[in-house]
Amino acid sequence: MKISCVLPALNEEKNITTVISSLRPYVHEIIVVDDGSTDSTAQLAAQSGAIVIKHPINRGQGAALETGDNYALKNGADLVIHFDADGQFLATEIPELIEPILKNQADIVFGSRFLSKKTAFPFGKKYIIMPLAKFFTRFFLGIKLSDPQSGLRALSRVALKTITINNQGMAHASEIQIKAFQNKLRVVEVPITVIYQDFGQKLSGGFRIIRDLLINKLIK
Amino acid sequence: MLQQIIALLIIIYFISRLIKEKNNQEINNKEFAVWLIFWLSGAAAIILIKQIDRLVNWLGFSGSGINFLIYLAVIALFYLVFKLRLRLAKLDSDLTTMTRHVALDNKK
Repeated sequence: MKISCVLPALNEEKNITTVISSLRPYVHEIIVVDDGSTDSTAQLAAQSGAIVIKHPINRGQGAALETGDNYALKNGADLVIHFDADGQFLATEIPELIEPILKNQADIVFGSRFLSKKTAFPFGKKYIIMPLAKFFTRFFLGIKLSDPQSGLRALSRVALKTITINNQGMAHASEIQIKAFQNKLRVVEVPITVIYQDFGQKLSGGFRIIRDLLINKLIK
Repeated sequence: MLQQIIALLIIIYFISRLIKEKNNQEINNKEFAVWLIFWLSGAAAIILIKQIDRLVNWLGFSGSGINFLIYLAVIALFYLVFKLRLRLAKLDSDLTTMTRHVALDNKK
């Protein structure tokens, strides 16, 4: 089974080499989608042995993931992992993440920061933003997952073929969850650890996600 | 009366520009028709302002006809901005599709 890792990256020259090295023992290929970086992210990724696809201009994380997924599908990937290039996820948790797919118990596996006590959340994120995001996804989108915005996930080839990411920005995380349930894919959550480099998405980012989801629905 | 004449002159100016754009094929028939209807409606509203005043009173609104027209214009503007936002989102999405094609083609 060919396992690929899609790594969207924007100006990540400080972390990209370390992240690629940490991933190598767990996957067969690493696809870095350089999303219009102005630093040497692409060169460093290529030197580290990753396949580098370059967006000539910045299009957002969701767009970069879809580009990586397209490439992986065309090149025979059986399982794709979405990973962040900023070093917030632990590559050592990949075996647990992909296990349900390897055992044919799931089509898509979402990492959850809430099933584990290992993640040290910033206060505002834990007690304000995440409860609001959970409320929104549960009551308005009907998604009953513990982590509405997790960026670490694994998709089987079936899931990859089924889910096309249309949201270019951060709304892709919710979009993938919505489409996984709409298409009746077998969904599993596994606990993951996140090491916060900074606060990450703020409350305004949450509203932007809701706006992007609505607009994307209307332009279809 | 003077205000009505000025407003009508402005509308005539915009209609003449519209006809010029149509003759120069800068806009298509549909766009020409939409804008022509828009400006003619504006002219009709200015000419029939007294009747609109009476209609607004009859409908039970406290403001004058001109206020009512301004409310309608604000609603129309909100709608146009919303349509513009959707159009921009569609263009943005098309740009992403093109960027993806370029990126994947360069990788072949």
